[in-house]
Amino acid sequence: MSETDQYYVERCLDGHPDDFRYLVRRYQGVLLAHLAGKLGNKDKAEEAAQESLVRAYFKMDSLEKPDSFFSWLLGIADRVAKEHQRQEQIRRQREAIRSFSEEAPSPEFSQDYALEAAIAELPEAYRQVILLRYYGHHSCNQIAEKLDMPLGTVTKTLSRAYAVLRESLQHECSEIGEV
Amino acid sequence: MNCAEYKELLVGYIEGLLDETEKRSVAQHLRDCAVCRAELKETSNLYSRLVNNGKNLAQTNLEDAVLERIIREQNVRLKTASKIGASLKIRRIIMESKITRFAAAAAIIVAVLMGIHQLGGGTVTFADVIKPILNARTVVLDFIVGSEETGPVMHDIVVGSKIRRTISNMATIMVIDLDKGKMLTLDPPSKGAAYVGIEGPLREGTKNLVEFVRKVITNLKDLPVEKLGQRKIDGRKVVGFLARGQNEQITIWADSRTAQPIRIEMMLGQTLYILKNIEFDVPVDESLVSMDVPAGYMLSDKQFDMSNFTEQDFITVLRLWAEHLLGGSFPQSLTVGDLMSLTPRMGEKIGQLNISDEEKTQLGMTMGKGFVFFQQLDPNGITWHYAGSGVKLGDASKAIFWYQPKGSQIYRVIYGDLSAKDVAPENLPK
Repeated sequence: MSETDQYYVERCLDGHPDDFRYLVRRYQGVLLAHLAGKLGNKDKAEEAAQESLVRAYFKMDSLEKPDSFFSWLLGIADRVAKEHQRQEQIRRQREAIRSFSEEAPSPEFSQDYALEAAIAELPEAYRQVILLRYYGHHSCNQIAEKLDMPLGTVTKTLSRAYAVLRESLQHECSEIGEV
Repeated sequence: MNCAEYKELLVGYIEGLLDETEKRSVAQHLRDCAVCRAELKETSNLYSRLVNNGKNLAQTNLEDAVLERIIREQNVRLKTASKIGASLKIRRIIMESKITRFAAAAAIIVAVLMGIHQLGGGTVTFADVIKPILNARTVVLDFIVGSEETGPVMHDIVVGSKIRRTISNMATIMVIDLDKGKMLTLDPPSKGAAYVGIEGPLREGTKNLVEFVRKVITNLKDLPVEKLGQRKIDGRKVVGFLARGQNEQITIWADSRTAQPIRIEMMLGQTLYILKNIEFDVPVDESLVSMDVPAGYMLSDKQFDMSNFTEQDFITVLRLWAEHLLGGSFPQSLTVGDLMSLTPRMGEKIGQLNISDEEKTQLGMTMGKGFVFFQQLDPNGITWHYAGSGVKLGDASKAIFWYQPKGSQIYRVIYGDLSAKDVAPENLPK
């Protein structure tokens, strides 16, 4: 479990599919947070996370830099989330037509994932650090190593990410407050 | 520092990332500044929320679900649903030394049949047998003895315990039924057909072959195996494994994703065997491996049996080779590949000899058995040496071939006049 992403990626490519387990273990939290933020629902996030991981496994030979597995995986998750959102949209439209309702129901957005939704909206650099730190359970030192940046930069990035998150959460609260 | 600068440090403060000086400084400032205290409280709230959410999501474990989906997906992709669970588990593909005999046995059978085939009666065919590997009911593969550039290619279609084998440098078709220890050989040009008994060592060896292929696919045992890394074969990404036994060495190239072996190279003693273009469970017309004589073929009434082979049979091969193909000299080298390559020409020569069909058949049988004698040396771990290059047939002063029979202290040495003697190890030719 302490090996690098690159190590496990190469093991998988070398015909040791069982080792994919370690990458799942390492990034499932991150993926779930990312997808829960985008899809607003834990079950959907789980389904999308599984799909993203399976897709990643079968596409692994197209991963050019094995050490960038994490960002690559998030990219796949983004595409999966988009597809799911699109399917959801189509489903809702059909439902709306069936029920003769002109009004499309607003997306069920659980308040539980407001934080994750805010994270999903963060600029890429901030998002990666927050996800790795709190959902991937990396220490700041590990993040510094993985993202190849000085520890000071990780701390600063975290700090700025906090500021942005607080702002967007406040914004949301005040919107809700106005209703 | 002003408040804005302190705010920048609050996350580090909560996370415990500040050094002692910074920490004291922040703590001091917080005591004095209500605004920053409020800021700290909000930041701490967000921190707790992040940590809690992270913990909650961490309770979900996707590992099993994901691996299961991968297996299922792979099943679909490979259309060999029941096998994938096992193939997923294949970490190493291994070889057990005795199993390598199969290859030799297969080659032996081929050579034998080729030898027989050339006889007057228009005989031989051959199909090889391999039991379904990992339930694979059918296997198709190419099999080469010797070098890939020059060795004749055998094409095998394996269905259950039956094999149909064709060879690139011969018209002969062979169908083998391993369960019955019997082989049907067909010669399309002459429409001749014959059954050949392959009991004894031949059948034994072929059974090992079956086992071998199965093991290659399913084997999960951990032997010391050297990994050779990746390369591409026919556009497929493959990974190689090398296993070494006492007398043999095997390299297996398998699809790096599915673990299906697609190329196998075996070095048995001094002989290289290559299995390539391996495919499992491809649709096969079952009539191809039928042991019935096809319409239009004449079945020979002769009984052929390859069960016993001797040194004398091998000596006959050397004589025929030198006498009829090389103008009275022994060949420069002696390998299984050489023998297989020259079989068709040798058969032709025998066909032209001014002897009866009966005698031609006998000679062909002897030749086939001579091949078997030579080919079983390596798989049985018998050391041998060939020194006939440049030696003239009839030269009693030169040793051309010697070997140490199994369990024997002394050697058998064959000379240029094709006499053979027992020789102690210390008296062997240098």
